[in-house]
Amino acid sequence: MESKTFWECNKAYILTALGLGVVGFVFVGFLMIMDWGYLIQYTMHALIGDTSGVLTAPASELEQMINAAFGPAYNTVAPEIIRASNERQEYIWYVFFAEIMIFVFLYIKNGRVTPTITRPNDTVQVLTSFQRAVIWLNIGMISILVLTGFNITWGLRSEGGDIPRILREFHELTGLAWIAVWLVFTVIAAKDMKGWRKNSTFRHFLPGSFKPSKRVIWFFYAAMGAALCFSGAMIITLHPSSLTHADVIQFRRVLLYLHFGASVLIMFFILDFVYASAVSVKGYLKGLWSGSYPREYLEQVAPDVLDDLKKAGRQ
Amino acid sequence: MSRMKFYCDDYRCIDCNGCVVACKEAHEIPVGVNRRRVITINEGIEGKQKSLSVACMHCSDAPCQKVCPTDCFYIRTDGIVLHDKDKCIGCGYCLYACPFGAPQFGHEGIFGVKGVMDKCTFCAGGPDETLSENEFEHYGQNRIAEGKIPMCASMCSTKALIAGDASEVDKIYEYRTAKRGDNTSLKPYGWEAYNNGK
Ligand code: HEM
Ligand code: SF4
Ligand code: SF4
Repeated sequence: MESKTFWECNKAYILTALGLGVVGFVFVGFLMIMDWGYLIQYTMHALIGDTSGVLTAPASELEQMINAAFGPAYNTVAPEIIRASNERQEYIWYVFFAEIMIFVFLYIKNGRVTPTITRPNDTVQVLTSFQRAVIWLNIGMISILVLTGFNITWGLRSEGGDIPRILREFHELTGLAWIAVWLVFTVIAAKDMKGWRKNSTFRHFLPGSFKPSKRVIWFFYAAMGAALCFSGAMIITLHPSSLTHADVIQFRRVLLYLHFGASVLIMFFILDFVYASAVSVKGYLKGLWSGSYPREYLEQVAPDVLDDLKKAGRQ
Repeated sequence: MSRMKFYCDDYRCIDCNGCVVACKEAHEIPVGVNRRRVITINEGIEGKQKSLSVACMHCSDAPCQKVCPTDCFYIRTDGIVLHDKDKCIGCGYCLYACPFGAPQFGHEGIFGVKGVMDKCTFCAGGPDETLSENEFEHYGQNRIAEGKIPMCASMCSTKALIAGDASEVDKIYEYRTAKRGDNTSLKPYGWEAYNNGK
């Protein structure tokens, strides 16, 4: 067997790290107005259970009163929230446009793979009904979350009112329900857990193995999903009353920022899913719905899936 | 130009919560929403206990207005910051941006998710027709239209909380501090002092 170079093995990871590194550097270095020193120290305090943001004992009565009434260090996180929520309205279009252009470029470069099917009736059951239920619930809920979430971002265009408000409330509720679906999907799509394949629980895991580029997508889905679920659920749970305001407001600011960031990052990987399932290979989406693919389809575009099914005795 | 402001004198506030009750009563505010609250530090420590009544400060350059995605805030010519509940989607961003924790949310939406924002109106109602039933239901009394000062300040038993045109409020503040011999009017006070490192 030909041995691959380090670059060939890790190309997807290196390119993703480089891309995110460059975007992150420009963003953090030139666009954000966050007090990073405070944020890091604050996160450590929050991890041990103190979300108030009071990192040093107040030096004066005025400071003590501010800490008690409004929470400290207003200027460390809030200005960034103000900047981000304003600029999101204006500039996210360009981010999405650039992301879509990447896929247009991929399409122009690679075209659409069309497997040759001569025996359409010779099909193989690849996905169980449980797996399909999870996949389609995931697709449905993410679509709702994206629409109802960005409905908030672009409130200026809708000009608010009852419908955008109900959509936003629906975002909260769908978000809470999605936590379970995100978790189950993350587990069933963890294809690299070879050990699992030996026992009968294998049938719950999606067959096939990840290529590095797809592993990156899975990783991002899991990580950004975790960030969205954690921040969203905490924002809902830690809703301050007039008495608890000072204890939680700084933490909520950080959480909202996390939600902002993760929602934009996950979009790229959601778009990748749309591209991979609906554009790059003909017939992929149909199989996601019916659960079975023609044998020839699998032989040509997904031999690893066929292999796995054989190993598991499902073939 | 006139600008309506609140001022709470921490030498006088006795943590009676009369302002909070007056506000809730006047505007029929639901449980869980407090347009005004009283904060106390060093409770029970003689000579050190201090209380302050806080609500929306009707900021000149209001951060809530800057951040609202539906642009539902407006600032009246007299400086009172109001918002339109028919536009508000209850996202809560004004709460993240507000330095004073003024925006409030009751849990009234579908399945008890948080509803639209409510905050102190300086007793000036809202964008609905002045003194209409709708205005009362959405925003509470419009005492400013009736030529009165906000309910909280008018009910304050020690007159710690005062409200009105900034220049008038300032005169009372200067008079009181001079009388106490603090002479603090010459020093920066409040946010300015805090931001300049005291
Ligand atoms: C694919 C998943 C998700 C996406 C793409 C997404 C997207 C968004 C976006 C775009 C916003 C508005 C931010 C802005 O103003 O620009 C938002 C706000 C919010 N999201 Fe999500 N979100 C997702 C999942 C979740 C989950 C799982 C939860 C809860 C468990 C949640 C709860 C919230 C909350 C609480 C807000 C703040 C506004 C509010 O209080 O309603 N989201 N989300
Ligand atoms: S809600 Fe907060 S930010 Fe807005 S005017 Fe009132 S105090 Fe200022
Ligand atoms: S909760 Fe309402 S008033 Fe506050 S920022 Fe959102 S839409 Fe604007």
